[in-house]
Amino acid sequence: MMTCEFDRRRFLQWTGAGIFGTLSAQLSLESLASAASTSPLPANTPILVLITLYGGNDGLNTVVPFTDPTYQSVRSNIALSSSQVLPFNDSLGFNAVMPSINALYGQSKVAIVQGVSYPNPSLSHFSSMAIWQTASLTSTVSSGWIGRWLDIQPHNAFNAIGIGATLPPVFVGEKSVASMVDVSGIQLPFGAAAPLVPRLGSSSPVDVPLEADAATAINDMYSTASVLTPLLPKLLSGPAISQQLSLISTLINANVPTRVWEVNLSTFDTHASEQGDQNALLGQVDAAVGAFMTSISGGSRARDVTVMIYSEFGRRVMSNASDGTDHGTAGPVLLIGNSVKGGLYGELPPLNSLDVNGNLKVTTDFRSVYGGLLQDVLSTQVSDVIPGWTSALSVH
Amino acid sequence: MAQRVVTARLLHRFNFGPIPGQYVELLNRGIGATQATVLTHGVADAGLNSVVAPVLADLGPFPTPGTPASTAFTNAIVKGNFDLITWWLDRMAVADYPLTERMTWFWHGHFATSITGITYPLPMQKQNNTMRTHALGNFSDLAKAMIVDGALNIWLNNDENYIQSPNENLAREFMELFTLGVNKFTQDDVTAAARALTGYSTVGSNGDVTFDPSQHYSKPITILGKTASFNGESLATYIVSRPENAKFIADRLWFRFVSGSTTPQASLAGSFTRREIFSLVNAIVHSGAWTNPANALVKSPVEWFIGACRALRVRPSGLNQDNVQWELPQMGQVPFNPPNVGGWPYGQAWLSGASFQYRYDLAALVVANGDLAPLSVRKSQMVQACADWLGVPKWSGRTASTLEAATGSPSELATLALVSPEYAVSA
Repeated sequence: MMTCEFDRRRFLQWTGAGIFGTLSAQLSLESLASAASTSPLPANTPILVLITLYGGNDGLNTVVPFTDPTYQSVRSNIALSSSQVLPFNDSLGFNAVMPSINALYGQSKVAIVQGVSYPNPSLSHFSSMAIWQTASLTSTVSSGWIGRWLDIQPHNAFNAIGIGATLPPVFVGEKSVASMVDVSGIQLPFGAAAPLVPRLGSSSPVDVPLEADAATAINDMYSTASVLTPLLPKLLSGPAISQQLSLISTLINANVPTRVWEVNLSTFDTHASEQGDQNALLGQVDAAVGAFMTSISGGSRARDVTVMIYSEFGRRVMSNASDGTDHGTAGPVLLIGNSVKGGLYGELPPLNSLDVNGNLKVTTDFRSVYGGLLQDVLSTQVSDVIPGWTSALSVH
Repeated sequence: MAQRVVTARLLHRFNFGPIPGQYVELLNRGIGATQATVLTHGVADAGLNSVVAPVLADLGPFPTPGTPASTAFTNAIVKGNFDLITWWLDRMAVADYPLTERMTWFWHGHFATSITGITYPLPMQKQNNTMRTHALGNFSDLAKAMIVDGALNIWLNNDENYIQSPNENLAREFMELFTLGVNKFTQDDVTAAARALTGYSTVGSNGDVTFDPSQHYSKPITILGKTASFNGESLATYIVSRPENAKFIADRLWFRFVSGSTTPQASLAGSFTRREIFSLVNAIVHSGAWTNPANALVKSPVEWFIGACRALRVRPSGLNQDNVQWELPQMGQVPFNPPNVGGWPYGQAWLSGASFQYRYDLAALVVANGDLAPLSVRKSQMVQACADWLGVPKWSGRTASTLEAATGSPSELATLALVSPEYAVSA
């Protein structure tokens, strides 16, 4: 049955009213979690949280080589000065809008993998993001790397969960797909026809594959809703990324049996007015990750969670006259967690020795980063998910 | 059975789905008549004529924040965007011959421009009308119009592309996403094309584009092997004339109308040698693709919603907009607001449990406001009548038995049918 706090239609009409917060404050998360979750994630099981930055995040203004004279000269209109950076050594620092991640780095909980991309990087958003999400350099592979990991797990609608309505390609396997939930939870069908809806989620031998997927989605909606819905008592606020990570930390702390989570944030494609736009976005990510890690660190899964923050490419070293940057290549991947061995990994590509297009040379293959995560977090042989690939960069 | 599949596929994919009685009528008239019906365009359309386009004013520059003018300005932006969305949804839902709207919808996803980057609704409306004008015309004309389209120039930063400091965004995406495809050009081609696109500036509030020769890089440049002086129009004309363009556009149409997983028939590009869009659409409609079971496609949320509106004779603007303009974004698709320049997701991406809840809400809303006369038959015939009405070739045993259990209430039966896997997917 539908309950009042999940009725978004009414919520819209009542925006600003405190009724939902009041009502839900009466719920005890823990009691609901244990009652609702019939198969909690076993203690000490590692969990991966993917944060995808769509559009190509400018890595040079994220982890900033602020003392490099080339950095200051070739992008003088968007280069961050030393006062706009939180230095962690004498040549590198985080963008000053990232105080939380900087603090975590100071506690050795952030691994910065530098110069990450793949051979002959594509400057296309869509090709490059496809390569990152499929972990394949060829366009003939359409399954996502987490999707292929799902394929070799026993089917369970909880194995991997994304926040939002549309499935990211990384979550689509050959046989299995991840589940999606909405930040405001799942409002199960209500009204006269509702009792019959679950029957539409059963499989039929005459279904074509996409019809079978449509049926599975209905089925997974019910199975995830029965566990997740009671865990979503708060009226979340703040930017979407904060709401999404807040939801995930709540669910992780409630021992929901999920190994991989995904959230994403768009509009990092800063061809113009980069500093203001990127700073706002990175600031949102930083605040959301900071709050997330605080929540996780205070719970029972403090050492289980690893966050990966990545984008499809970095940006051109030289800026353009629109105070922005065009598409580039390598960028940093951030891996964050209480069990992560913090520090710098890989080499920072030199700014004074670029490729023919004026882009950074690649020093670390992203598949090695995945390799480390598959091995250390998802307890899986790398080549089972990325055929032919064995290299693993371990940060644990 | 094959005829039921082919007829349903053609109606759902090229005409947003049948109006009541149309599926059975076309089953009786045959596949040739169905092909001719779905391809009809450019004729008097009483349905379309009944939809009044919003008159959007040029709202001018942003007023000072905090002033009364600022509030009025913001309200006008919000209302204009809202009116634009309902206007287009209405056109799709009530067109007697929907192919032009369907193709405009395709081109909107192809030259994917989002109002989030434009703010002003007026340039979006102009762009929409440009795409409608050329929807089934010559692709070279469409590409020439789009490369100097105001909304697209703002969206892809071409008003900040200067000789001394190029901005490559429009140049790259024009070749990669709009005309040639990935890996069909080099970074040098992008650099050169960006130079060809210098000198254009756009008035943000109305989308008017002007060309200043003194700011244009007029020296010869080399693009894809040809050295000449280019401007936007000659660049578009040249790139579209490249042989790769025919295959690329044929592939994109196949991807959105036929299948995201099967390989397009190689012969299709041959029907596009003169870049006549209708000729290509016609070839796809008459291709052998429609009997191949592998060519199933997931309806995108808007396509699914419009199909429901057409079947139930519902005008989207007549529905509670608090619902429509809340649930469509929750499902991930709002006209004039694609997620990025790559356009809409496809396939399984639309089939998540999280979006099903909104699908169900919207189905119930359309049914509550719709005409259920096609279900005014004996209970024993209702489930089959529903398939004939909605253009579903055949219910699975699962769905048939579920619908049988709902024959006591036509509205419940219709709601369940609209959210069934067989209606969510054009199988």
